[in-house]
Amino acid sequence: MSKSMLIISRQAPWAGPSTREALDIALAGGAFDLPLGLLFLDDGVFQLVAGQQAAALQQKDLTANLQALPLFGVEELFVSSRSLTERGLIDAQLILPAVELDDHALAQLLDRFDQVVTI
Amino acid sequence: MATLHLLSHSPFSDSRLASCLRLLGPDDGVLLSGDAVYALQPGTAQLQALELMPASIALYALDEDLQARALSAPARAQAIDYPTFVELCGHYAKVNSWL
Amino acid sequence: MKFAIALFAPSHAPSSRRALRFAQATVDGGHEIVRLFFYQDGVHSASSNVVSPQDELDLAGEWRNFVQQHNLDAVVCIAAALRRGVLNAEEAQRYGRPAANLDAPWELSGLGQLHEAAQMADRLVCFGGQ
Repeated sequence: MSKSMLIISRQAPWAGPSTREALDIALAGGAFDLPLGLLFLDDGVFQLVAGQQAAALQQKDLTANLQALPLFGVEELFVSSRSLTERGLIDAQLILPAVELDDHALAQLLDRFDQVVTI
Repeated sequence: MATLHLLSHSPFSDSRLASCLRLLGPDDGVLLSGDAVYALQPGTAQLQALELMPASIALYALDEDLQARALSAPARAQAIDYPTFVELCGHYAKVNSWL
Repeated sequence: MKFAIALFAPSHAPSSRRALRFAQATVDGGHEIVRLFFYQDGVHSASSNVVSPQDELDLAGEWRNFVQQHNLDAVVCIAAALRRGVLNAEEAQRYGRPAANLDAPWELSGLGQLHEAAQMADRLVCFGGQ
């Protein structure tokens, strides 16, 4: 059986290529049908804000990649409710149907995966 | 499936340690390396937070990083070398590096 | 035990040295490294054009020696490398760039190699940051 991997993405979309590159790990794993989860933590939750305009900074829109996750077989999407609350986003409309988890549930989530990579 | 968490950023300028401490499972371990060993600076809230962790959570620090920074491991932490680091990876089910 | 080791930091970052010392300790301890995978800024740790002052550690050189000495499978992510100007001769020619700075024993390949390594290994250990 394949080992599962949880990728924890904790950077905002505007800090250079590393946010996109974290997402690419998930997309690449999904293409190989691996059991993957993606958790948005800390500033990573800013990736889920609707209405961002990448073109204003001459960048590619991350939204399309994020929304491609389920198509690539990455269906386990999670977001830290604490990170959302801290950043005033707890009631915001998010661009992905990520499951909101509190700290206790996040500890259990990490426990469930064979491997965890935090970027 | 206990996790060994590997940290390498200073807890005084970065939120990784704080985030990590909130996600720890009861049998997880924390390994401080690089500037993350500054969390062991005496008299700081960061050291206090580490000392408040349940006793079941092991705390390690890479010895070379302590030496370089004129720090010594408090009673709560175990200073380790690279061979021990490698063995710890086998002791825990996985290693989560906070890159 | 089988290790997959991934590096996310350039050769001037302390974590590149830490990753190398860890990798050396795995081999010294009788363990196996199934693959080294260099991603994000880690691609710079594989550059053959890093020139360290004589009295400083030549980490990119040490990485190269380590890989050669143990005949390791050492992969540099191609997408991350192209973006950061780390090219082998083939890619330099393909994109019409005047110089290559990546050579054997490193190979350029895709992110699938990271997942494959993680599947083959008992432990995936990543290094990055300070």
